[in-house]
Amino acid sequence: MTTHVKEDALLAQAADAPEKKSVEMPVGVPGYTLQNETIEVPVTEPPVWPINKDLKYVGHTAERYDGPAKASGRARYTSDVQLPGMLYAKLVNATVPHARVVSIDTSAAEKHPGVKGVHVIQHILGPAVLRDPSLEQVRYPVVRYAGQPVAAVAAMTPYAAEEAAKLVKVQYQTLPFVVDLDKAREPDAPQVFPGAADQAGSAGGGGGPHNVPQTGNIHGPSIKRVGDYEQGLKDADVVVEGHYLTQVQTHSALETHGVVADWKPDMLTVWASTQGTASVREELAAFFRIPLSQVRVITEYMGGGFGAKFGPGNPGVVAAALSQKTGAPVRLMLDRREEHLSVGNRPSSDQRIRIGAKKDGPLTAIHLVAYGTAGCGTGAGCSGPAQNLYQYASLHTEENDVFINAGPASAMRAPGHPQGAFALEQTMDELAVKLNMDPLELRDKTDSHPVRRVERQIVRESALWKSRNPVAGASQGPVKRGIGMAQSVWYRFVNMNSAAEVRIHQDGSLEVLSAVQDIGSGIKTVMAQILAEQFGVPPAQIAVKVGDTNYPVGPNSGGSVTTLSLTPAVRDAAWQASQKFLADIAPALGSSPGDLVLVGGEVRSRSDKFQPLSFRRAAAKMSSAQISVQARRIPDYDPKNYLTYGGVDVAEVEVDTEIGRIRVKRVLSVHDCGRPMNPTQTISQINGGVIQGISYTLFEHRLLDPGYGLMVNPDLDRYKIAGALEIPDIDVRLVEAYIGQSSTDASGIGEAAGVVSIGAAVGNAVYNATGVRVRQIPMTPSVVLAALHAARQGEEMA
Amino acid sequence: MSERSKDQPMSAEEQAKASSGRNGISRRGFLKGAGLTAAGTALLEGVQAFSSETEAKETGVREFGPGPVPVRLHVNGTEHTVTIEPRTTLAEALRINLGMTGTKIVCDRGSCSGCTVLLDKVPVNSCMVLAMDAVGHHVTTIEGISQGSEPHPVQAAFVKHDAMQCGYCTPGMVMSCAALLDRNPHPTEQDVRQAVAGNLCRCGTYPKVFAATLDAAGSTRNA
Amino acid sequence: MNSFVLAECTSVSAALSQLNNGAVVKASGVDLLDRMKNGIEEPPKLVNIRNISELRGIRETDQGLTIGPLTTLAEISGHPAIQSRYQILSDSCGHAATPHIRNMATIGGNLLQHVQCWYYRSEEFSCIRKGKEFCFAFGGLNQYHAIMDYGSCPSVAPSSAAVGLLALNASVELQSARRGKRTVGIKEFYVVPDANPTRFTVIEPDELMTAIVVPKPAPGTRSAYQKYGEKESFDWAIADAGVLLEMDGDICRRAVITMGAASPVVRRSAQAEAALTGKPVTEETARAAGRASVEGAQPLSMNAYKLDLFPVAVYRTVLLAAGKMGRDPSAAA
Repeated sequence: MTTHVKEDALLAQAADAPEKKSVEMPVGVPGYTLQNETIEVPVTEPPVWPINKDLKYVGHTAERYDGPAKASGRARYTSDVQLPGMLYAKLVNATVPHARVVSIDTSAAEKHPGVKGVHVIQHILGPAVLRDPSLEQVRYPVVRYAGQPVAAVAAMTPYAAEEAAKLVKVQYQTLPFVVDLDKAREPDAPQVFPGAADQAGSAGGGGGPHNVPQTGNIHGPSIKRVGDYEQGLKDADVVVEGHYLTQVQTHSALETHGVVADWKPDMLTVWASTQGTASVREELAAFFRIPLSQVRVITEYMGGGFGAKFGPGNPGVVAAALSQKTGAPVRLMLDRREEHLSVGNRPSSDQRIRIGAKKDGPLTAIHLVAYGTAGCGTGAGCSGPAQNLYQYASLHTEENDVFINAGPASAMRAPGHPQGAFALEQTMDELAVKLNMDPLELRDKTDSHPVRRVERQIVRESALWKSRNPVAGASQGPVKRGIGMAQSVWYRFVNMNSAAEVRIHQDGSLEVLSAVQDIGSGIKTVMAQILAEQFGVPPAQIAVKVGDTNYPVGPNSGGSVTTLSLTPAVRDAAWQASQKFLADIAPALGSSPGDLVLVGGEVRSRSDKFQPLSFRRAAAKMSSAQISVQARRIPDYDPKNYLTYGGVDVAEVEVDTEIGRIRVKRVLSVHDCGRPMNPTQTISQINGGVIQGISYTLFEHRLLDPGYGLMVNPDLDRYKIAGALEIPDIDVRLVEAYIGQSSTDASGIGEAAGVVSIGAAVGNAVYNATGVRVRQIPMTPSVVLAALHAARQGEEMA
Repeated sequence: MSERSKDQPMSAEEQAKASSGRNGISRRGFLKGAGLTAAGTALLEGVQAFSSETEAKETGVREFGPGPVPVRLHVNGTEHTVTIEPRTTLAEALRINLGMTGTKIVCDRGSCSGCTVLLDKVPVNSCMVLAMDAVGHHVTTIEGISQGSEPHPVQAAFVKHDAMQCGYCTPGMVMSCAALLDRNPHPTEQDVRQAVAGNLCRCGTYPKVFAATLDAAGSTRNA
Repeated sequence: MNSFVLAECTSVSAALSQLNNGAVVKASGVDLLDRMKNGIEEPPKLVNIRNISELRGIRETDQGLTIGPLTTLAEISGHPAIQSRYQILSDSCGHAATPHIRNMATIGGNLLQHVQCWYYRSEEFSCIRKGKEFCFAFGGLNQYHAIMDYGSCPSVAPSSAAVGLLALNASVELQSARRGKRTVGIKEFYVVPDANPTRFTVIEPDELMTAIVVPKPAPGTRSAYQKYGEKESFDWAIADAGVLLEMDGDICRRAVITMGAASPVVRRSAQAEAALTGKPVTEETARAAGRASVEGAQPLSMNAYKLDLFPVAVYRTVLLAAGKMGRDPSAAA
C-alpha cells in the first residue's frame, strides 16, 4: 500500500495551518442518508458544490476527452514515438533463475554492423536488497530470476538490436534455485538471498514491511494484533476455518513497459509508459545524480499499468544510459515475454483463516496466517480485508513473504486485497451458512460502514439477489446455477504532490495543465468537466494538457489517488482564476470585482450595471493576454477522519459439474467513490475491475517450471486472460457518497472496483450452486472437478 | 511515400538513409532476384507484376532478401514504397516504415488482435503477416477507415459509449467491429462477441464495445 | 526472427524446385512465424506458396470434397456445402484459434502445425522433439498434455481440423519434384513420437501438400465436433471430440469417434465406437461411448481431470450429432 504517500500527506498537512471558515456541505448518500454538515474549511476554498444532480457538467456524462484520438489511432503512446536518429534497444536477459555472473563478453555484439552502443547493467532495480550488502561481493548483480536483465544493446533497427543481443555472451556460475512456495519454506531450501533483504515498493505502493525477522526465505511474520484472539475463539459460538490458495497473476498491460530516452547535455527527455511522470523524473534524477530540472518526462498516452508502471525501472535506466553513451535517442520497449517476467506481478497467497462468531453474528475473532510469494521481492501481505472490513473483538494477522527465484512483484490493483478478500469473504459466507443467516444480514451485523450498508440494501432489493435460492446445490441437472456476494474495501490516500494551472486567454479559450498522466481512467475528461462547471463552457472546448513534467507536478496514479488528489487542485485553480479574471475585467466594465459574478457561462453585474456578457466577450476585456493561476492540493478538510470506501459485488454463475467449467453469467456491482465525477468513466473502470477479477478467478496463472525455474506461458495465449466470450452481463450501480473532504469531494474507484471482491463472490456463488466450496484459484476445470470429487468422497465416507 | 510534414518524426527507413558512417546497415543481398540489377530499379508489385517478367515467368520463382528490398504497399488507398527485409511483418512495416502507429503490436503472436488490419476487407493480425505478403493487396488500417474528418460509425460509437479506457486495444477492436458490420450490418450481441473473440482488452471494456458496435449497426441501418 | 530469403513461387513445380538445403514452405505463415519468433526454427529460406492459386479453393463432386491446402479455415467453416454436408469439418475448422487467425490460416498449415507443448515452443527447452534426449513435460507442468498413446512425448495433437478430417476418413495428397505424387490417409499422415520424435507428419522436406481429399459420407451420416477449453475466447482444447454416425433409422450402423487433445496424434477410439455400433443412440449409449473413450488412459501428474472431460465431450457430441441435444453451452460456441 502507499504508506509513504500517507506520510507525505501528514507532513504537508502539519505544515498548513490556514485561516478557516464554516460551510455547510452535503454528507451521505442521496435517497438514504444525505444531510448537511457544518465543516471547517480554509477561507480560500471555493463555494461548496451541491450534489451531482444540481451541477451541470461535473457528475454527469461527458465524452472521454481523448476518445476521438484513441478511436482513430491518432493517440501517440510511448511505443509509437519515433525520433530522428532514434536507436532501438534490446535487453539481454538471464537464462537461468539463480546465478552469479562470471563474465559478460560484449565484443561480438559491438561488432554487429547495426549496433551503436552496448550497456552492461551494474545496478539492478526491482528485487529486494540485502540489509547487509557485504554478504555479496560481486562484480555484476546476482541473477535471482530467469529473465533478469543483464545487459542491453542499441542498434539502428529492431532486428539488428535483436541479433546483437544474442551475440552478448554471459557466463553464469549457477546457484541452487527454488520457484515453489512450499519448497522455499523448507529449512534446507536453496536461499534466494544470503541474508535478510527488503524491497522498497514503488511510488504506486507494493513492497513489504522492513522491520521483520527473516528465516531462510521467509521474510516475516509481520504481525498485527487487536485484543486476544485465543480468547476470542474461545468466546465464539461458532468457528469457521479454511485454507485458501491464490496464484501469481501478471499485470499484462497491453502496452509493455518502456521508454524513449533522449539524453542531451542540458536535458534528459524521456517518453515513458508510466503511471507516474513524477516518479520517473525523481528516480532518473536520483539514479544519474542530475537535477530534477534537467529531467523531463512525457506520457501523452499510456496503454495500461494496473500498478506495475512506476519509476523508470530497468528499461528506463538502461535506455537513458544508452542514450547518454550513443548521443542518440534510444527506444526500449519490452517484449511480451519480458513483460511477464521482469516488471511485476500480483503475489500468490496461502492463507489459513479462522473466524469466530457469536450465534447472532458478532465476530469474536479473526485469525489469519498468510504466506505468499512476491518472487525475489516482497509485498505478499494480504490481511487488509481481514483488518479493515468488519468489526471484531479480536484480531491476529500474520503476513509472510516467501522469497523464490522469480521476478519481483509490484503493486497490482488493490495490492493484497483480492487475495485477502477471497479467503475472508468465503469464510464469512461459510459462517453465514453455519449461523443459518442470510449473508447480507451477517454483514449488517458485523460491518458498520454506512455506505456499504446502503449498498447491501440495494443488493437486497435487486432482482438478481431475490432470485437466489438460499439452499445450496438445489438446482437439478449437471449444470447448476448459484448466486453469491462479497464485499470490498479500499482506503482514501491523498497525494499532496498534486497541482494544476488554469489559464484564461484573451480570446476566451481555457487551458488546464498538470503533469498528471491519464492512464485510461479519464482524468483529462474530469479536468475539463471541472473547468466547464466553473466557466460555463462545454468540456470539449477546454484544452487539457497533461502527461508532461513541464506542467505543474501531478500525482502518481496508484492506489486510486488521482481523481481525489488532483481534482480539488484543479477546482481551486479554476475558481481562483475566475476570481482574478473578474477583478481584472471589472474596471473595463465600469464595475467592481464584488459586483461581478460568472454564472452559466456569462459575466453578470449583481447591480445590473450592464447586460450579461458571454464569457468569450468578457475575456476580450482582459487587461493582458493571459490570466494564469496555479493551485496545489490542500489537505482534506478533516484529515483525522481516515476514510475507507468499497462496494458489494454479486455474481451469478453456472457450474457444469461434469466438466468443472464455471461461467459467470451476471454481476451486480454496487460501489461508492465519493462524488462520482463522470459516472460513465467510473462505470467503465468498475466493468474493468469486475472483468479483471473474473479473469483472475477463473483463468490467469503464471506458471513456472519447478525443475528449471522458467516461465512456460510468457505469452497471451497460454497465459489466459478473459476475452469477449467470458464477459457476463454487468450491472453497475454507482452510489453517490458525499464525505465533505475537499472542494470536489471526489474519491477513487480503481482499486475497490470489482477486482477485490469478485473472486469471493464467484466462490460463494459456486458454493450456492453446488454445495461445494472451491478454495483455490484459478478455478479451472481441474481445480473444480477435484473439489467436487473431494466433496463426493467426503459424503461417501461420512 | 506517406504524407507527413517535416516536423513529424522520421521513420527508421528515413533514419537509415539519413545516417552515414561505419555503422550503417549492411545492404548485402539487396536483391537476389532474377531480372533485377540494382536496388530500387524494380519494385515488387505483386505476383501479377513479377510473373510478367521473362525470367520469373520461366522459373516461376523470384528470390528476395535476406537484405532490404523495395516493395510497394497499397495502404488506405495510397501506394507507398518501403524498403524492408523479407522478415518484416506488415505490422512493423506500417508502424516503423510508414509511421502509421495506430496499429499496435501487443503479443506479436496473433493472440490478441491488437494489430488488426483489413487485407482486402478481411480482418487479419498484421503481426503474423509478412509485409511482402501484403503486396498486391489492399491494406486498410485504423488510419484509413474514416471518411476524411468524418469518423467511421464504429469510431463515433466507441466514443459515444466510452468503449475504451487506456485505448491501446481500441484500434484493433474498431477494425474488428467495422469489418463485422461490413459483412453483417445487423449483428446480434453474440455476433459482436464472436467478431472480437480474438481481441484482448486488459482494461475490461468489452461491455461497451458490444454496446457501441450494436449502436453503430443501428446508425448504419438508418443511414 | 532470423533473416531469410523469400522465394516467391507462382506454381507448384516452381515451389517444389526450391525445396532443398533447409528451405521450408510458407503458406500464410501463422505457425511458421510463431516458431521463428520464438526462436525454435531459423530456416535460411522460405518458399512462399501463398500466391499459388491452383492450391486454393473447394471443389465438391459426387465423390466428395477436394480442398486446396491454401484454403483458409474461415473459407471452409463458412462454406455452405460443407456446413450442410460435412458439419464436422466446418465445426472443427471453425473452432481453431481466433476469427482473425482463421481468416489467415490455411487448412494445410493447420494440419502441418507443430505441437503446442510449451516446452517445445520455447527456445529455452531443448526437448526430444528438437532432437534431444529429454521430455520436460513428464516431470514438469503437464496439465494440458496427453492422457493416452503418448510414448516418449505427451504433447497433444494441435490441429482441430484433423479431428474432423480423421472422422471423415480424409487423405492428403503430397507431391515432390523427384518422387511425384502420393496420397496418405490422415491417420497415416501423423507420426507418433515413438516412431520418430523429431517428425510430426510423414511429409518430407521436399514435399508439398497439394490437396486434401474428403470422401463423401454415406447417406444418413450425421456428424459434429465440439471443443472444450478453460475459456472460450481463444483457448487450446483441453478436450474435444469428433463424432460421425451412420444411422439406420434409430440404430447406429457405424460410428466414428475422434479425439485431439488426448494424445500426440489425432486418434479414433475403437472402444467408444463399439459402444455405439448396432445400438440406438441414447444418453445411456452415448455415455457408455464416452466412458469407453478413455479406457486404458494413463494420465500424467497434473491432467487426471481429462479423464472426466473426454467422456463428457464424447457423450455430448454424440448426442449433438444424433440431433438429440443442442450444441453444448459449455463447449466453445
